[in-house]
Amino acid sequence: MAIPVIMPRQGQSVETCILGEWVKKKGDAVKVGDILFSYETDKASFEEDAKADGILLDIFFAEGDEVPVLVNVAVIGAAGESVDEFRPGGQAVPLAETVAASEVVVEKLIAPEVKTVAEPTGKVKISPRAKNLAEKSGVAYQQLQGSGPEGRIIERDIEAAAQVLPKLTPLAQEKAKAEGLKAGEAATGLGGKAIAKDLISYNPVYSDDFEVKKLTNMRKLIAKAMHTSLQNSAQLTHHMSADARTIMALRKKYKKALDAGQISQNITINDLVCFAVIKALKKFPQVNTHFIGDSMRWFKKVHLGLAVDTDRGLMVPAIKNADDLSLEGLSGQMQSIAGQCRKGNVSPELLAPEAATFTISNLGNYGVEMFTPVINIPQTAILGVCTIVPRPKDLGDGVYGFVPMMGLSLTYDHQALDGGEATLFLREIKEQIENLEI
Amino acid sequence: MPKSQFIDPSEVRKAGEITFNPIPVNQYNKTVEEEKANFSNEDLLRIYRDMVVIREFETMLNLIKIRGDYNGIAYDHPGPAHLSIGQEAAAVGMAYTLGVEDFIFGSHRSHGEILAKGLSAIAKLSDEQLMQVMESHFDGITFAPVKNGHSGTVKELAIKFLIYGTLAEIFARETGFNKGLGGSMHAFFTPFGVYPNNAIVGGSGDIAVGAALYKKVNRKSGIVVANIGDASMACGPVWEGLAFATMDQFNELWEGDMKGGLPLIINIMNNQYGMGGQTCGETMGYNIAARIGAGVNADQLHAERVDGYNPLAVIDAYKRKRIILEEKRGPVLLDVLTYRYSGHSPSDASSYRSKEEVEAWEAQDSIAWFGRELVKAGVATEDQLTGIKGDTISLMESSMKLAIDDKVSPRMDMAKYPNLIGEMMFSNESVDRMEDRTPDVNHPMAENARVQQLAKKERFAFDENGKAHSKIKTYAYRDGIFEAIVDRFYKDPTLIAYGEENRDWGGAFAVYRGLTEALPYHRLFNSPISEASIVGTAIGYAMCGGRVIPEIMYCDFLGRCGDQVFNQLPKWQAMSGNVIKMPVVLRVSVGSKYGAQHSQDWTALTAQIPGLKVVFPATPYDAKGLMNAALQGTDPVIFFESQRLYDIGEQFHKGGVPEGYYEIAIGEPDIKREGKDVTILTIGATLYRALEAADILQEKYGMSAEVIDARSLSPFNYELVLASVKKTGRIIISGDASSRGSFMKEMAQTISELAFDDLDAPPVVVGSRNWITPAYELEDSFFPCAEWMIDAIHEKIVPLKGHVVKNNFTSAEQIRRNKLGV
Repeated sequence: MAIPVIMPRQGQSVETCILGEWVKKKGDAVKVGDILFSYETDKASFEEDAKADGILLDIFFAEGDEVPVLVNVAVIGAAGESVDEFRPGGQAVPLAETVAASEVVVEKLIAPEVKTVAEPTGKVKISPRAKNLAEKSGVAYQQLQGSGPEGRIIERDIEAAAQVLPKLTPLAQEKAKAEGLKAGEAATGLGGKAIAKDLISYNPVYSDDFEVKKLTNMRKLIAKAMHTSLQNSAQLTHHMSADARTIMALRKKYKKALDAGQISQNITINDLVCFAVIKALKKFPQVNTHFIGDSMRWFKKVHLGLAVDTDRGLMVPAIKNADDLSLEGLSGQMQSIAGQCRKGNVSPELLAPEAATFTISNLGNYGVEMFTPVINIPQTAILGVCTIVPRPKDLGDGVYGFVPMMGLSLTYDHQALDGGEATLFLREIKEQIENLEI
Repeated sequence: MPKSQFIDPSEVRKAGEITFNPIPVNQYNKTVEEEKANFSNEDLLRIYRDMVVIREFETMLNLIKIRGDYNGIAYDHPGPAHLSIGQEAAAVGMAYTLGVEDFIFGSHRSHGEILAKGLSAIAKLSDEQLMQVMESHFDGITFAPVKNGHSGTVKELAIKFLIYGTLAEIFARETGFNKGLGGSMHAFFTPFGVYPNNAIVGGSGDIAVGAALYKKVNRKSGIVVANIGDASMACGPVWEGLAFATMDQFNELWEGDMKGGLPLIINIMNNQYGMGGQTCGETMGYNIAARIGAGVNADQLHAERVDGYNPLAVIDAYKRKRIILEEKRGPVLLDVLTYRYSGHSPSDASSYRSKEEVEAWEAQDSIAWFGRELVKAGVATEDQLTGIKGDTISLMESSMKLAIDDKVSPRMDMAKYPNLIGEMMFSNESVDRMEDRTPDVNHPMAENARVQQLAKKERFAFDENGKAHSKIKTYAYRDGIFEAIVDRFYKDPTLIAYGEENRDWGGAFAVYRGLTEALPYHRLFNSPISEASIVGTAIGYAMCGGRVIPEIMYCDFLGRCGDQVFNQLPKWQAMSGNVIKMPVVLRVSVGSKYGAQHSQDWTALTAQIPGLKVVFPATPYDAKGLMNAALQGTDPVIFFESQRLYDIGEQFHKGGVPEGYYEIAIGEPDIKREGKDVTILTIGATLYRALEAADILQEKYGMSAEVIDARSLSPFNYELVLASVKKTGRIIISGDASSRGSFMKEMAQTISELAFDDLDAPPVVVGSRNWITPAYELEDSFFPCAEWMIDAIHEKIVPLKGHVVKNNFTSAEQIRRNKLGV
């Protein structure tokens, strides 16, 4: 009789494993103990061996597939036997009774599973009892996925949700969300739920000595973007500083030329830094990328994001094809687009995080010596440009002097880049700045 | 099937012939002059007056119906009025000789009989007795309107009381004889020996037999008269009543003073029409109804046709027939020929008979003829007769004025007391014995072999190690029923039990084994295979004051006694204004293994009918406790039993079934197993399958089921179930009835209404399929089982992890089945 090969569960918290490599192919004869395939969890790699002699009749997943644990991945049996009954998603998998019994026990130990749907579709089906319980326990049930007949939300769904969601009354939920409050220790509502008047401000010491102001839409967007960024990427920041003498000299030179009317564009330190970074990016195309989960976009051109501080909040417009521009051209475009941002007539397309391939945020003017900028995802990195401070430096021949050094803070997504690559890239920027030639 | 009677083949196979005696037809031929020796002038004038009173009463109603006024007094009576104008001599002749202790039962056309019997009783009762009757009936409520300002004799007052009480009843007044709850077709007044009149044709045909049985078994004086129409002789229950009334055993097997026939006269008020159907010449074949007697027993029911247009002829017949009854040679059949001028009802256009025919009978009108005879014989003068008519008209006018005066004769104030009728549906009394005397028994209870045997049995199903006792040693469900019944037989002298195979056989399911030895025939006997008479006679027996346990062997036979169970048993307590009690416990056994006509659970049919209490115990403890409660009460109880359970021991009640007396309140369900995840409410024997389901739910799915045994269907206290649903949020209701229209559906609907906010899924009914019950070998696909219950929970209430359904409980399937009606 054919038997299924399941994806083993390596630890309680593991829900899925990645199928690594098939050692045996469909149709191969296998013996007990033969390695069938390798698989990995987030923590380690394993190999699964055959538990029966026979023919590997069918395999249901390909290498690289993410497979839920305890699901059938293959079937071993005699030639000609049907495998359909084992195919996941087909007929229910008959489990040996001992397995079923132990499964019940296991189920009691693990936290209940709460499934949600992205958007409620049509009418929410919920039993009266579940609805009552949801209201009493302050569970917003509209986005729960029901486990009852025909997808009805039933009591157990609310119970599970109540364990992971805050226990607030619906009114309290609204108020908490609107005013940034949270449930205090006292909960005077039904079933121990916190009601609106039980909510307290973050710091109870200040009592009500504050005014609640609604966020502007702009603020909400920034908040969301920043929060999403930190939630969805693995960010860390490297700091380095570059000798600023070269670009300070260049700045001086261009200033003189502007004053003399030889050029019309005021070239700033920032313009020069950006110009240097674009050059570095051309050398490190893996930084000029978007990280989109299971793959990355490698851009051929550099579209430079520029953090602009405005009255309404932070904006990051993109300079398209920045690597095609001359220094004057780059400077002109940056000045013009920053102006548009401040006036509020910048094209929304250019503000989309996807519009830029890399972003520079310059806080040097404000005297910031070091910071950890937040990546504008899906971009993979952002450069923070800091103020210039004099630092002691070996000027050669044992002579030390104070040299103006510019701080550079590169935040990168460790999902996309490793520390070594990021360091080399940051070093490249430093080199470009220190040796900038126009 | 007593062994004492030997059926000798050589005797019964002998050649021979059945001979009949001639049946007398209108043989009475005396004149008033000749009868003066037997009647005083006063008597004869009273006969005349009684006929005039009935004629005027019916004429008054006729005018109210047709013209909306009587002698200038306007009134609209929307209810029925089936009048008997023309039949007065038959009614008065029937009632004239009857004593107060003689009972009459009637039909929908019985105003005349009520008045005739009432007037007869008034003539016989002393003034003190009359005052006592009038003042005590509903604490004087009926009496008060007529008592006011009365200046004549007590007997005149009593006549006013009779007319007023009947009329107020017809007009649905609270001051009527039955608080207006009986009305025209059901009016009666037991203190004058007038028992229920029945709107179902032939309805009294078996009930009156039960009343006669009551008189006989309880040694009560008096006879019983069943006034039924000539057309009712076509009704099955009337024939069943005749079969019951003429059982050989009364003479062959009943012993001592119990030997002999019933004191019963079947009095056919033969007005020759059944509504519009002519019984002689069209709808029946007996030609002369008295012929029927020849076919019923060897005595030919002492049948006789009597000229019902001559009151003296009827009186003569009653005098002669009473002697037969006193000699215990009853019952008697009288065919009293009469004619009604009035239509069947006011809507009757008399399209079925000619004007000439009606006029010919009017030309021989009994009242006019009898008046002329009285004058001719010098008994009365024309003036006297005119005076009687005048007095009667005044009596009617004053009675009508009182009866239609809303202040004097109000209707029930349903706005102020909305539960008034509800409070009358049951008498809800707790009575040890219906009469205080020593019961007739053959030996002390302790000497009874079955009682002694039960003392040795194990009263709990399992020993201390949880091992089941052997079947033979286990005190079973049937023993619980027996113990309650035998106890009552020794407590209540009026208690009798009968049905098919109740005596020597011990009941088809051995519940009564041992009772045959303990009880004389008149307390436990075999009935004919005749469910209508089994239940119908029990109703009559209880109406008169006795307690009775009729039994129909299979639930499937309920249809055979449909009218009795649906129309009679449940109705009379409320229709009498709670004058009558109905302590009848009808044992009904639900079968299995016996196919389509012997395996049906029809509990819903009875529970749907207002006025019945319905129980269905599933354990010996509950069976004994509920039977005790049923027998202690005064209400009709349909006591369902299950043939799946007779052998089963007590598995729930700690300490087993108590030896002593205890009652389980009717209407209280019981938790047989506590749980918290799902409730299973069962009716009857499905309890044990629900427990199996609960085991599986626990073992395979980690769900704990609370199993509740309904025990009663009506009344039913939902509080326990609601509390359970509050806890579990889920409920299935299971029973062996076909699910469509079952009581399970009623429960599901009520629970939906009362526990809506607590429910995590709709209540789901798991009943039998809407098919015929197949053979035993196929019953698993028909009756609900544990697997169905789990499938239903999985499909409709909460999906069970890893459960693979075997039965289709999907909504689509439910729709499909309903579409097909299966």
